[in-house]
Amino acid sequence: MRSDSRYPSQRAGRFLLLALMVLVIDLSLAQATAAEQLTAGAENVEVAAASLLPAPNPQRADYPNIGVSSRNLVWIIAQMHLFFGALVLAVPIFVLVIEIIGFRTSDDRYDDMAHEFMKISLTAYAITALFGGTLALSLFLLYPHLMTYLMRAFGSQVLVYAALFFLESMLLYIYYYGWNALRYGNRKWLHLTLGLLLNAVGTTLLVVANSWTTFMMAPSGVDPATGAVIGNIWEVMKGPLWNPLNLHRFIANVAFGGAVVGAYAAFKFLSAKNPEEKAHYDWMGYSSNFISILAFLPLPFAGYWLMAEIYAYSQQMGILAMGGILAWLFVIQAVLICTILLAGNYYLWTGMGRSEGAERYRWAIKYIATVLILGFLVWVTPHNIIYTAAEITRLGGGNHPVLGPLGIMPAKNIAVFLMLICTFLSFQLYRRADKVITVSWQNWGNALMASIYAVAIANIIFAGVYYGYFTNTVYKVGSSVIQVMSTVFVIVSGVVLDTLMFKGAKTLHVTWGKVSSRSQYALFALPIAFTWLMALMGYVRTSIRTHWHVYTVMPDNSPDNFIPTLQTVGNMVTLATLLFLSFLLFIFWIANLSGTRQLPIAADNNPALAGGKA
Amino acid sequence: MNVLVKVLSFSVALILIFTGVAYVLPQMEGAAPEETVVDVGELTIESFVAMGEELYQGKGNCALCHNDLGRAPDLLAFDVTRASRERMADPRYQGAASDVEGYLRESMLQPSMYVVEGFGTKGSGDAESPMPAVDKPPIQLSELAIGAIIAYLQDKDGNPVTVALPDAAAGNDDGAAPALPALVQSAEAAMAKYGCAACHAILQSAATLGPGLNDIGSRQSIEQIRDSIVNPAAVIDEDYLVMMPEFPNMTLGELKMIVGFLAKQSGDQS
Amino acid sequence: MGSRTDVGKSRRVMTWAIAISITLAAFYLLDQTVMSMQGLPLNWDLSPAQ
Repeated sequence: MRSDSRYPSQRAGRFLLLALMVLVIDLSLAQATAAEQLTAGAENVEVAAASLLPAPNPQRADYPNIGVSSRNLVWIIAQMHLFFGALVLAVPIFVLVIEIIGFRTSDDRYDDMAHEFMKISLTAYAITALFGGTLALSLFLLYPHLMTYLMRAFGSQVLVYAALFFLESMLLYIYYYGWNALRYGNRKWLHLTLGLLLNAVGTTLLVVANSWTTFMMAPSGVDPATGAVIGNIWEVMKGPLWNPLNLHRFIANVAFGGAVVGAYAAFKFLSAKNPEEKAHYDWMGYSSNFISILAFLPLPFAGYWLMAEIYAYSQQMGILAMGGILAWLFVIQAVLICTILLAGNYYLWTGMGRSEGAERYRWAIKYIATVLILGFLVWVTPHNIIYTAAEITRLGGGNHPVLGPLGIMPAKNIAVFLMLICTFLSFQLYRRADKVITVSWQNWGNALMASIYAVAIANIIFAGVYYGYFTNTVYKVGSSVIQVMSTVFVIVSGVVLDTLMFKGAKTLHVTWGKVSSRSQYALFALPIAFTWLMALMGYVRTSIRTHWHVYTVMPDNSPDNFIPTLQTVGNMVTLATLLFLSFLLFIFWIANLSGTRQLPIAADNNPALAGGKA
Repeated sequence: MNVLVKVLSFSVALILIFTGVAYVLPQMEGAAPEETVVDVGELTIESFVAMGEELYQGKGNCALCHNDLGRAPDLLAFDVTRASRERMADPRYQGAASDVEGYLRESMLQPSMYVVEGFGTKGSGDAESPMPAVDKPPIQLSELAIGAIIAYLQDKDGNPVTVALPDAAAGNDDGAAPALPALVQSAEAAMAKYGCAACHAILQSAATLGPGLNDIGSRQSIEQIRDSIVNPAAVIDEDYLVMMPEFPNMTLGELKMIVGFLAKQSGDQS
Repeated sequence: MGSRTDVGKSRRVMTWAIAISITLAAFYLLDQTVMSMQGLPLNWDLSPAQ
């Protein structure tokens, strides 16, 4: 095989060129849609009759009725589509990263793991498309007026979306099926570029679909009084919530995808028949958890940005979500996120047993666990509940004197940021557990790291308590940015310091596979909680539109235009999660099945089903 | 198979725990606002005030922000009439209200006219209010509803209610969405809607306040005609003072129809 | 690892003292910058200036 090390600049050049092509293709596709709308702008006297039309205003009787609640039906189908869409968009992201790592370290394990992850993604892809089609059909059937309006607003952009799917499918199939054919040298570069293109197209699909969602929540490019579409496609797409949702969904997809493939690895670990398999799937599970928690850490910031933009767009909408009728959902959210954090942390703690260097850090675990539990208790405390008159008299007011203050944002911010810092600490301790640091300045490094943790924690508590309870609202809200930056400071400095301090470190032996079965259940808890949480938060996002299809522009007069009870929400979310679980099992089974090969039936009629890699 | 059963049981159990949490929390259902018809003839001051209180807590969404959590002044915690007078006397007050009722109405329809110190949008230095205008979506209170809420706010502290009870002709709903302005379908109808013929000689009018428009198409280009309507000060004939009003509610479609019609007026007909 | 002599100990204490001082300064700067960027200036003692 010809070595390509003689042409490094040529290779790099090709990669860069192709990456640039990605950018150009993306931008052109987007601009093409925008350009034709721009030329038909306000200067032109000829205007399509459609732009004069106000938003439709169907009355209750105008809504089609097929005998079941339209809202519930679309809810489940949409949620399934979102689950699978998240999965198939996320997996190629970290698959590409893992493939690059494998390429740079020349370690086949990474490449094989990346390939195995893609198998799952490919099977899920068809199901995603099926749910997408079903969703479209059900929306046109059950909400024709809304869809008329949305088609009017978005025009040919929806065809761009459809066209992108052709591109996505082609790239996906070449990327997966051509994996072994494009394995080394220049061809590997080509394969990596295909992976990059695949992710670029996938991300474009994500942001295009997001624009429909955010348009319904915070419409732009339309006349506020009538709903007539007066802006071009960019103005319609680029509403105030578009980019916050793009960022939040992009990161959340990666966290979710990592968690799902982690469950796959955990399942295979528990079913492993020999130590090599156990070691392989243990390592795979660790890698998935790493990806998932890594993506999970910045997620609250993206969610915070989204919520802040919602508040900026409409304070009423924001307060409805977190201070009004939907506020209880955020208490449930606390339960979910604490499950995720506890599961992720627990997995790291049990995983530390793989290396003998972990004994040094065991003492820290109980403190981290304490902070996590306390943080959860604070986060889950409501500001008030519906008291009876007798209870109010006993309390002496509408809020509990001690627990009341824990129910508002400053306390919750302190709780969540401390929990995030502690999770990162678990991470850092795990990464140090199998190394002995040898750099000469380690005392300085460790002192600095410890100081950063201590001062950051103190800063977060100070900002939360002082600005939260002793200053006015504007400073209270602004202080949360201090808390965010402090947490980010810890994470970034932790990564940088460790990278520098690990240079030349002595690596202790890590026994992959040497981990309890209990720990694998943490890897199941993670995607279950993620899935349930995604459905719950998706419901919140939809529900804050209250009785509007398109907020303030097109009212919802359907029979389902009310906010359902928490029990109903819990049932629907559970139904979606269970459905997703069933489909996921099917996908894992198919992924497994495709690697199975039946042996020919022997002369003594003793068929044997043998497992093995195809 | 054993592994599958164990994993499935664990997963389902965990899911059921989450579902359980949703069950034990307080249950609330949020109905969409309904259009109830109020018999205006039967209203008394008491029932008007009571209607205002109901709106304050319900459809008006006032209590969502105006409470003790610090996002907006807690109106139920102080004398609103007295506070209104104090704010109108504040040197920062730039509004047009001269009495308490006017101030309260202005606060609801133009919240940014005067923002109480410390409650402005972040970074605006109390120049901008985060409160939405209550007569627009999503709140969309009718004149009747707004009057009722003002009456409630005046009455709750024992102050006299100055809001007049609406008469039967003033409308009979308590906050249904105002009818969307009907879009006109022809240039003539659009020009009638905006009253062009009141000042300009066009169609059958012989008005002379503004330039005659019967031959505007041969005097001005399409861009100039358009600009005259959208930005009169930039284009208007020096002979005429800038008396032409603005039309912020004119839709693009109406504008195009009018401009298209005027561009065809070349004076041949008269 | 640091030595267990008195010199080593006082050196370690110095290291930690300097590390904490630098960190405190850094976070103080962070607080001031972050709040003023949002249009919410602070006094020297971190109390609101508005």
